[in-house]
Amino acid sequence: MSGRRRAVRMLGALLLATASLGAAPAPRRIASLNLTADEVLVEILPTDSLVAVTAASDDVGSSNVVGRVPPTVARFRKADLERLVALAPDLVVVSEYTDPDFLYLLERSGLRYHRMEGLRSLAGNRQAILDLGAAEGARAGAEKLVARYDALLAELAERLRGVTRPRVMYWASGMTAGGDTAIGALIDSAGARNVGAEIGVVGIGPVGAERAFAADPDVVLIGVWPGARESLMQHPLLSRLRAVRESRIVEMPTELLVALSQHAADACWYLASALHPDRVPRSRP
Amino acid sequence: MSAARRRRVLVGLALALPVAMLGAASAGSVPLPFFGVLGSLLHGTGLGAGAPLPPPSETILWVVRLPRVLLAAVVGGGLAVVGATLQSVFRNPLADSGLLGVGAGAALGAVAAVRLGWAGSTFLALPFAAFAGAMTAVLVLYALSQALGGGTLHELLLTGISVSALAAAGTSMLLVATEEFRVKTVLFWLAGGLDGRGWMHLRIASILILGGGATLLAAARVLDVLSLGDEEAAALGLPVHFARLVLLALAALVAGAATAAAGSIPFVGLVAPHALRPLAGALGRHLLPAAFLAGALLVVLADLATRVISQNVDLPLGSVTAFVGAPYFLLALRQSETRR
Repeated sequence: MSGRRRAVRMLGALLLATASLGAAPAPRRIASLNLTADEVLVEILPTDSLVAVTAASDDVGSSNVVGRVPPTVARFRKADLERLVALAPDLVVVSEYTDPDFLYLLERSGLRYHRMEGLRSLAGNRQAILDLGAAEGARAGAEKLVARYDALLAELAERLRGVTRPRVMYWASGMTAGGDTAIGALIDSAGARNVGAEIGVVGIGPVGAERAFAADPDVVLIGVWPGARESLMQHPLLSRLRAVRESRIVEMPTELLVALSQHAADACWYLASALHPDRVPRSRP
Repeated sequence: MSAARRRRVLVGLALALPVAMLGAASAGSVPLPFFGVLGSLLHGTGLGAGAPLPPPSETILWVVRLPRVLLAAVVGGGLAVVGATLQSVFRNPLADSGLLGVGAGAALGAVAAVRLGWAGSTFLALPFAAFAGAMTAVLVLYALSQALGGGTLHELLLTGISVSALAAAGTSMLLVATEEFRVKTVLFWLAGGLDGRGWMHLRIASILILGGGATLLAAARVLDVLSLGDEEAAALGLPVHFARLVLLALAALVAGAATAAAGSIPFVGLVAPHALRPLAGALGRHLLPAAFLAGALLVVLADLATRVISQNVDLPLGSVTAFVGAPYFLLALRQSETRR
């Protein structure tokens, strides 16, 4: 071997070694403080890699993975840093809204974290799943999950091609979903127009009964929670809404309504089947 | 009130506080051995022979628990000193920082930071916004009371109530318009608590609270003269208006910093001075140090209760102090009625 070739090989080996030293090893003990992450991680990781999930992952009405996380995995009702440090996870998954002061302490405790961000659109959810998979060293599992997500949304788009889009208003105790919200994206993808965005609401914001009445939506979307339908039917003004009088109210299971994981595609399918039963069957492919 | 008794009270509190703090540093969602904690503290501070705890416990102690316990003591002590000061200034045993609009202003600042998204994106944004809100409320109170007449106690009280009501209205308005997932952040702050508070919070809060508290202590003689009444104080040569203004500004500074660091913690400013007055005497130079120690002890123990109990139930710090403070007040009221 010539001296030059040996030098090139040594340089290559040195570069490889440097790269492997710089890259963090794939985490083996993962703690999730975010329900969306719980729903993704259950699908893409072996359950023995999970050391903690949110207590909400067991709540019927909030979670799409009830009964999927073994009881041996710790449940967190809140971000308890002491318990978290004691579990010694390699990676902690937090949400976009986790308190920055808590994240500062997390770093000071020597724990790595991954923040799930951009969960305000279907594309944002998709990217967040891929980013989470990459952070967990489970890229293939995340890509498989996203492939199903894409296929479901693509089939939905195909079935809804050319459909007349009804005007849908989300209503939750005086609040509605406007532009730049996951619920707005859900309404758009289910073959409808989001009244909240049309009347200028941005984010989840107050709309008030009078404004909702004046907007005259074709359909009202509510979550399935105790008293939600009754409060609408008994409201002095909203009970006179055309959509309410004609019983065009869609009640959506709350675990789907608030889903920001791969289950957001299931939510789109559910709403589309309620709005366009002639085009979209209730059962998903 | 004998000097020996006052000394005994002060020494008792001064001994009880470090023991309670050591206990609070040992207990929590992850129990740490009491003597292990003591050893780690001696080792870490270089005060004696000790040894660090095993790695996860050492991190829990030094990164999470110790700054929290110290902050609880500083905040509790500060609130108690503010309560004792305001009760002397207003010559009313029910006076607290709420009269200055501090709590309401801080709440408005905190809710604004959450509503505008700062609290979710920037380190220390929430406490800084709360502090700014508290100080703005106090400045508005001062400006209004000056504009309306010149700042007598009566005018200050009524203006304080108005400023608090206005700030509360603004808080409600912002809260209603805040997205559900952000509301929980601000509710936790409004209910009071020390979750997520570290050395940086302690450093900043301590400068303001301990600095302001020490200045109030140094001005205790002025406070005592002022508590005699405006005419008597003026006859003794005290510039009443100026002295009151300085004391109220210092009280607002301390209360604002304490509220910004830990949210709303009710009753500490009422209970600690009220409980200590029969034991330490009503004079500021005796009451203020004792009230500081008692307030610190109360909040350290209340925070310990939240950490031990709230493993299964979310128990805010403000609820614990109210659960303790409200019955204490009713009991004190009953006893004073019985004496009459």
